[in-house]
Amino acid sequence: MKRRHFLRTTGSAVSIPVLLNGLSLSALAKPSIFNAVNNDSDRVLVLIQLSGGNDGLNTVVPLDQYDNLQNARSNIILPESSILSLTDTVGLHPKMTGLKSLYDDGRLGIVQSVGYPNQNRSHFRSIEIWTSGSSTEEYLSTGWIGRALDKRYPGFPEGFPNSDHPDPFAISMGYSVSETCQGSAANYSMTLNDPFSLTTLAEGENDDTTSIYGQELAYLNATIAQTNAYADQILSSAESGNNLGNYPDTELGEQLRNVALLISGGLKTKVYTVTLGGFDTHANQVEGGNVTQGKHGELLETLSEAIHAFQEDLQQQGLEERVIGMTFSEFGRQIRSNGSHGTDHGAAAPLILFGSCVNPQILGDTPEIPNQVEVQDALPMQYDFRDIYGSILMDWFEMSVIDVKKILHDGVQYLPIVSACGSTVSGQNLQTEIPIEMHCYPNPFQRWTNIRFTCETEWVRLSIFDSLGSEVRILTNKQLYAGEHKVAFDASGLPPGNYFYRLQLGHRQKTKRMVKV
Amino acid sequence: MTTSTTFARQKSQEQAPLPPLGLSPYIGPWTIDHASHLLRRGMFGPNYEQIKWSTEVGLTATIQKLFEEIPLPAPPVNPAYNGDNQVDIGDTWINARYSQGSLVDEMEYRERSLYGWTFGRMLEEGISIRETLTLFWHNHFPIQAILDPKYVYRYSNLLRSHAWGNFRELTKEITVDPSMLIYLNGKQNSGEEPNENYARELLELFTIGKGPQIGPGDYTNYTEEDVKQFARVLSGWRDYGFTTHDSDGDFGAEFYPSRHDNGTKVLSDRFNNEEIPNMGDQEYKRLIDIIFDQSEVAKFICRKLYRWFVFHEISPETESDVIIPMATSLIANDYEIRPTLISLLSSEHFFDAKFQGVMIKNPLEFMMSIYKNFDISISNVLDEKYYSWYRLYGFTELMQMTYYSVPQVAGWSAYYRSPLFYRDWINASTLPLRMNFSDTMINEGIFPFQANGPKMKVDVLAFITTIDNPNNPNAVIEEFARILFPKPLSQAKRDYLKAVLIPGLPDFEWTAEYGSYAADPENSQLANAVRTKLRTLLKTMLKMSEFYLN
Repeated sequence: MKRRHFLRTTGSAVSIPVLLNGLSLSALAKPSIFNAVNNDSDRVLVLIQLSGGNDGLNTVVPLDQYDNLQNARSNIILPESSILSLTDTVGLHPKMTGLKSLYDDGRLGIVQSVGYPNQNRSHFRSIEIWTSGSSTEEYLSTGWIGRALDKRYPGFPEGFPNSDHPDPFAISMGYSVSETCQGSAANYSMTLNDPFSLTTLAEGENDDTTSIYGQELAYLNATIAQTNAYADQILSSAESGNNLGNYPDTELGEQLRNVALLISGGLKTKVYTVTLGGFDTHANQVEGGNVTQGKHGELLETLSEAIHAFQEDLQQQGLEERVIGMTFSEFGRQIRSNGSHGTDHGAAAPLILFGSCVNPQILGDTPEIPNQVEVQDALPMQYDFRDIYGSILMDWFEMSVIDVKKILHDGVQYLPIVSACGSTVSGQNLQTEIPIEMHCYPNPFQRWTNIRFTCETEWVRLSIFDSLGSEVRILTNKQLYAGEHKVAFDASGLPPGNYFYRLQLGHRQKTKRMVKV
Repeated sequence: MTTSTTFARQKSQEQAPLPPLGLSPYIGPWTIDHASHLLRRGMFGPNYEQIKWSTEVGLTATIQKLFEEIPLPAPPVNPAYNGDNQVDIGDTWINARYSQGSLVDEMEYRERSLYGWTFGRMLEEGISIRETLTLFWHNHFPIQAILDPKYVYRYSNLLRSHAWGNFRELTKEITVDPSMLIYLNGKQNSGEEPNENYARELLELFTIGKGPQIGPGDYTNYTEEDVKQFARVLSGWRDYGFTTHDSDGDFGAEFYPSRHDNGTKVLSDRFNNEEIPNMGDQEYKRLIDIIFDQSEVAKFICRKLYRWFVFHEISPETESDVIIPMATSLIANDYEIRPTLISLLSSEHFFDAKFQGVMIKNPLEFMMSIYKNFDISISNVLDEKYYSWYRLYGFTELMQMTYYSVPQVAGWSAYYRSPLFYRDWINASTLPLRMNFSDTMINEGIFPFQANGPKMKVDVLAFITTIDNPNNPNAVIEEFARILFPKPLSQAKRDYLKAVLIPGLPDFEWTAEYGSYAADPENSQLANAVRTKLRTLLKTMLKMSEFYLN
């Protein structure tokens, strides 16, 4: 398993030469321009929602920012010595030994500071944005996976299941369907608790589909019919499936155990969603006096152990290369802790990917923590969450760039987060990324400053974020020729304080701090 | 940025009150369908007698009855626990301190008593909208995981006593309610160490609502800076007396001047740049008055009332014809809920046939409709009664609606989350629970919690005597459908149900069978034959999708 170590280069991405419509694709992807989600693929995506807003800074700790972080959150920060370091600059919470060992085995990737411009700090709205894959300004009633499946299975649920597609396309472990899987006509996810106890339900008929009442009846009847139709498939997969390895005795552990069981039993479900709640840690996220203990640490331990057991199970059954997983949360939390040993709603946060087919790297720079942090300050985003989604759809589900743009946004940017699994990687396809050169002068500045950078002939997006994590200016968003460029930033009208400039070049990006005085 | 803000605000202020098209009173004929619609939405599962009563007395009298001022219910009592040296069996514990010894046991019995009692309130509500509104407010001002039942009872009765009262006053009270101070971290919010959790939700989810994000930290109706200023205003409040052993057992909320931010708070232009000087323990009231000066607050709560009582979809026409007139009425009535809600529930719009039966019952409504449609009897022995009520609580928890444990600050997703809305209650996990439950209630019934007391079950033979024409199989099906379903059945479905009741037999066979049983009800053979037939029919009916609709 250590064979993948050579891929890892701290703080820099892996560049891939294949180019398609300005987007590079990994060596793994076989983009099928005319097909949406490849139906023959037996690949599975597991989404773990960390509900409530995970404190990313207490999960993936920026070791090189430790002193400033300590200033800002002295009552909750982990002792430096307790942090499980992955690289010189990045470490994990001490309760996440399971994930640390996956990282060491080349089965874990981290993307730093994932969010979206103009982070909305409402749970309600932010969950909606993350599950629908919309921008802050857009209101979509479908989920990003739902739209991807709509492309491939227009008309669903009419005529499903059928002999070609006998299995549910998505399964939500628990009692409510996943918003991520909401399609235009129906939700693709079936809820599931115990795959062994599914009963046959009495089916009804409907003679009125025009009135609202008739539509509600039709919905109920269709849910009953579909539940019955899928129940047999699930049961037979569960009966022929297997579990190897020890799962922790937690609800999440049990849910991932069932996911592994169904995959092992041959169920062709493409997406599984599970949820771990409790991350809204406004108070007592750590125990006073013993900061490695407390609510947040327990949650991270639950997460880490369940994922670790799941990966061990898949590996022992030889299923590892069929499954990748990802965590997400509606937002990270503010940099400063509050007086209640907790943290309030913030902006960007790291996102964790797992599986032997994810790039086992830490993508992006550690977030820069200023030495003066105000209440409400949060991390600016480095990566747009929709680009993570888009890259998964392209590389893992072999969707075309055109479709991915339609599903997510026109500016979708490819990120090398999925790689060729295990041994098929050949070294010559990979080269170390050229680091982005950029700086601004003067800094600190009063009214304006100049940002200089070097790029290839490529699409360039340069924007400014304030200390709340909101994108306040877009300075450049167009194709530029290769060479050095200078862009002036007029900050008059903006209050003094910390700002961040974020430069996006092709699939690379960098975020740096500047100070207006 | 500034320009668009000003524009948005002007726009919202310019919305002149429109003639209340949709709120014009319903003046059409009053039929059993209308009575049934009003009672299904205004209370938990009416029985046949109540529907017939309303049909007889008409709309105005039914509304009067629904909103009749009734005394607050007697508080929950200790039903059976003999280890509480502060509270005898049969006495209430709501103000009693805990004994030093067995806190966990005492809290457990009190919690079961409270949860059971709450179900008792819904079961015994009679024709009253109060428990429905109590649940509405619980969804609006939610709490979760408050461990001391004394706190939770106080919270529950606060909602109940303001059920159709003044929204502004309720908001003031809930802001310093001990349970809320814990749930949204108000108790941790101090001048020196602000915790903005409650401030944010007060704006976003409880009062004015979040408008579109039109700039960084700018949500049209308020800004991030407002959240910060609100948190300052609200600082200094803490609950006291949680699981107290103190001799007076006192608990509540207290203002600590030393934890309060004494500076002047400056709100954004959304609140007219209002400055709030230090006003100590009165400051939060001033803040809430300032919020309620914004007409957006009235629209926000009216949309929630609409989604709770009529339908989830608010089209531009509904917004202009119903929501705006409701909001105007609410402001004219100084935020008293009663008159505005009465206009809605008496309106042409509410009785529009297209809204009948379009809401999927939530788990409480589902359970209550079985208990109340069938008048399921519950033991009158104190402990057996509480354990019976408490058993219901357990079932609704499985069906994903746990009283006193709302999953999100925004409430249960069925009342806000597009596009599913009420459909969110229904899926492959919850449907089997509902179907198994109704089968069980018709067949063998269920025991109270820990089998304390007799089984609760549907008595199908008693049920059939409540209808007008039990001898005629067509009438049986029609009247059963009238009680159980929100709309009449199609002929095809009636035929189908008759085939379930008397498969392949002519109508007179039922008349004959039922007739001989009615003439000799003590004859167990005759009774069994009819009972089996009725159980099959009713199990089928309760599993029909129509039964899940309200």
